[in-house]
Amino acid sequence: MPEWPRAINEEMRQHLDDEYAALRGRGLSHDDAMRVLAGDVDAAASLRRRPVDSLTADVRYGLRTLRNGPGFTAGVVLTLALGIGATTAVFSVVDAVMLRPFPYADMERIVGVAEATRAGQTISIAWPNFVDWRAQNQVFEALGVYRAMVVNLTGGAQPERLIASLASADVFRALQIPPIVGRTFTADEDKPGASRIAVVSERLWRSHFNADARIVGKAVVLDGQSHTIVGVMPAGLRFPSRLTDVWLPLGLFVPTFPVDRGAHPGLFAIAKVKPGVTLERASADMDTIARRLEQQYPLNNTDHTVSVVPYYEQIVQNVRPALLMLMGAVGFVLLIGCANLANLLLARAEGRQRELAIREALGATRWRLFQQLLTESVLMAVGGGALGVLFAWWGVRAFVASRPSTVPRIDLVAVDLRVLTFALVVSIVTGLAFGLAPALRASAIDLVASMREAHGARGAGGRLRSMLVVSEVALAIVLLTGAGLTMRTFAALAAVDLGFDPSRVVTMRVALPNARYPDVARWIAFHRELATRAAAIPGVDAAGLDSAVALEGGGSESEVRYEGQPPPQSVHDDATMCLFQAVTADYFRAMGVALVRGRAFADHDTADSARVAVIEEALARRFFGDADPIGKRIAFEFTGHGPAAQPIWREVVGVVGHVRHYGIAREPDIMEVYAPLEQLPIYFRDRRPNMTLFVRTPLDPAYLASSVRGVVSRIDADIPVFSVQPMREYVALATEQPRLNMTLLVLFAALALALASVGIYGVLSYVVRRRSHEIGIRLALGATRADVLRLVVGHGMALAAAGIAIGLAAAWSVTQLLRGLLFGVSPHDPATFAAIAALLAVVALAASYLPGRRATRVDPVETLRAE
Amino acid sequence: MNAPGLDRELKKGSAELLILSLVEDQPRHGYDLSKLIETRSGGRLTFRVASLYPLLYRLEKRGWIQGRWIEKAGQRRRRYYRLTPAGAKVLEAQRHTWREFVDAISRITGVEHA
Repeated sequence: MPEWPRAINEEMRQHLDDEYAALRGRGLSHDDAMRVLAGDVDAAASLRRRPVDSLTADVRYGLRTLRNGPGFTAGVVLTLALGIGATTAVFSVVDAVMLRPFPYADMERIVGVAEATRAGQTISIAWPNFVDWRAQNQVFEALGVYRAMVVNLTGGAQPERLIASLASADVFRALQIPPIVGRTFTADEDKPGASRIAVVSERLWRSHFNADARIVGKAVVLDGQSHTIVGVMPAGLRFPSRLTDVWLPLGLFVPTFPVDRGAHPGLFAIAKVKPGVTLERASADMDTIARRLEQQYPLNNTDHTVSVVPYYEQIVQNVRPALLMLMGAVGFVLLIGCANLANLLLARAEGRQRELAIREALGATRWRLFQQLLTESVLMAVGGGALGVLFAWWGVRAFVASRPSTVPRIDLVAVDLRVLTFALVVSIVTGLAFGLAPALRASAIDLVASMREAHGARGAGGRLRSMLVVSEVALAIVLLTGAGLTMRTFAALAAVDLGFDPSRVVTMRVALPNARYPDVARWIAFHRELATRAAAIPGVDAAGLDSAVALEGGGSESEVRYEGQPPPQSVHDDATMCLFQAVTADYFRAMGVALVRGRAFADHDTADSARVAVIEEALARRFFGDADPIGKRIAFEFTGHGPAAQPIWREVVGVVGHVRHYGIAREPDIMEVYAPLEQLPIYFRDRRPNMTLFVRTPLDPAYLASSVRGVVSRIDADIPVFSVQPMREYVALATEQPRLNMTLLVLFAALALALASVGIYGVLSYVVRRRSHEIGIRLALGATRADVLRLVVGHGMALAAAGIAIGLAAAWSVTQLLRGLLFGVSPHDPATFAAIAALLAVVALAASYLPGRRATRVDPVETLRAE
Repeated sequence: MNAPGLDRELKKGSAELLILSLVEDQPRHGYDLSKLIETRSGGRLTFRVASLYPLLYRLEKRGWIQGRWIEKAGQRRRRYYRLTPAGAKVLEAQRHTWREFVDAISRITGVEHA
């Protein structure tokens, strides 16, 4: 008698002996008999492993099972790692940007306040209006006002430019974030004529003052004037931006603000509403004040109201749609992954029926088996989650390293305890999600049938698997459509004519403090000198200066009129608005702006010569139709206010193409007008813009910057050169969010497509395996291989078609939500929908073809012999 | 039969019924039971070793059958199972259920009892 494994008890060994003897009795050789009995021996031997009824036992048993199928386990864990990793990475960004608490006390009571037109456009606040708001409102316990500015820090080895903020004392009262050293401003210090003081950022304190705890009382030289430091703010204060290095009392600068209510000098307000006051009441109260001011000052305040927006909204509103979209996208990827895994487990459960039947026969209840199977999937999910966190950590690091500047609080993004907790919860939920259906089905095993190892398809299981594949395809369609639309958006943005040639243009900024250059002529002379000397640097093709920067969205705007235009009744009466800029002669050549007619500025356009302007083509058409605009006169500067305002006429000498100033996608109805720097627009005489130098050169930006720094220091050693950037980077910045949306969505959609095609492949392979018997008979009865291929591929395509149809319908409504993120393409773009459907059909065809090919190789003779 | 639960219970129940019936008249050992089921069902039903013994142990644990090692001269010892009084009651009940079930099916399907 053969030796049976010791694990088998005596009674069953006897049974095997009897079987063996019977088989030999029927004439089988020893080897053949052992082959027949092999399955029974294995099964009997495995009966000894009777697990304890506890979770630990389930886990131990699960781990052993998973180890025994390393390929299967690796596939599942990798799928999960990708899904959970993507979800975790996106969540870590969402968490940092939107969910993580802010360091300000009572964040929900902090609001951003600004002027707004009744049409809904937010604008900066006219100073006299702010004074009235502050005096008349009943709803704010603190209403602070601030304005960004750039200051030059001197006294170190090199002059440096710092981002500063003029802030009233109430700004700190509204935000309520305590300084780490010293104090903020008092109301007395926030007044015209007060002594010069400054509050510095923690970063500046560490980098320039060695984190000196006794910094209070020390002096810092800003824009050539000594300021006494009174406090240091913690890094958590990111107001107005996280780059702000120094805060100066705004009160000191009040005398420089225009008293004209039509002038909006870049002031914005931040406030804390009184406890118990709702946002609606605050808005209503401010609107009442606005209406009163409208009556008092109809000329400038007509149709102006006050926008009161929760500060939280102000921070997140620009990124929320994209973040929610990405969160949705990774959710879809995870769902598709779950559907795939559920399918895999269903297939595997069928292979494990014998094992489960034995365990049930041994007394395990359905509930126990169900628990055991679920434990296995949760184990795999947690393993996948751990690997996913690693992926997420890499992804987040790469994302943060790419320094997306349009994402607020990006520096807070990290895979921390909150994110890890999230990943764990997602893993467990995922494990339950994909494990539930297979566990339910498998634990409802059919004892006798599985002991008989019966053949025959299980209809219900096939239906469930088909449904899973159809939903995978549908989800993938939705994701792919979204990705397709963001690709179209990006392509449309890239195809936009910017109006200038960004290649080989390097930009850098200079800021001349008013205190150092009080005289306009000297201020102009500095810039003229800079342009001339920069153009003379070897390797430079052209150099010019502009008071505005294309794509940056900023600049000074004014009404523009042509000579002979009937004077308007009010400023809002069909006024044409223009963005006016002061440029040096070579600016157009340096930026590659197309000159359409006439001439650019020249050295003979001086302060003493006739006043001239270059206008954009669209303005020429609007004002003069088909007539030649050259020689016509326009005005955008006015002396005096209201109906008595006198235009200062300029003669149009040239017409240029439109330059995108307000970003690539946005195009407000604002015309571009250029004046020569030498004939500085009157509005710039008191409030000088920071000029930007544009250099067309094949030279390396860093090398060029050092040359320009040399040039500047020979003119004035105390003036820093900063923001050295190729013009291409402005273009990249303007397309950053659409590019991020596209890159990430395409990545996730590709993942979805891969998973869905694996899903189709998997289910068809299963079908071919289950039906190989039937296929063999068909072949034996005369079906051709082509018939069989058609049968299998047809099955796959039917599933894909159902998924595509459902997916397109779902995408139709889901892409609506993307409307705000799209440009140049409708959310229901038929071409995108058609292309995505075709793409999925092709992928489905490929995924069906492989199992189809396998089906054609079924050997009918073998099949029949197995019968 | 479209209700998987009923189906499952029936087949599971039927396996028990088979065992209990076969040990009603005389004690039998496992191999004997498996051969009887196979031959009497004309090969349509088979019990493999890894499923038969666990089932026997379960029935024994429930007190429906009792196994005893029996030594016979010239042979090795074998474990014989016999029906307990409790098992007899279960068997009676299961037979009754089964007859009613088959009867009901026959009335519906018109298939006469062979």
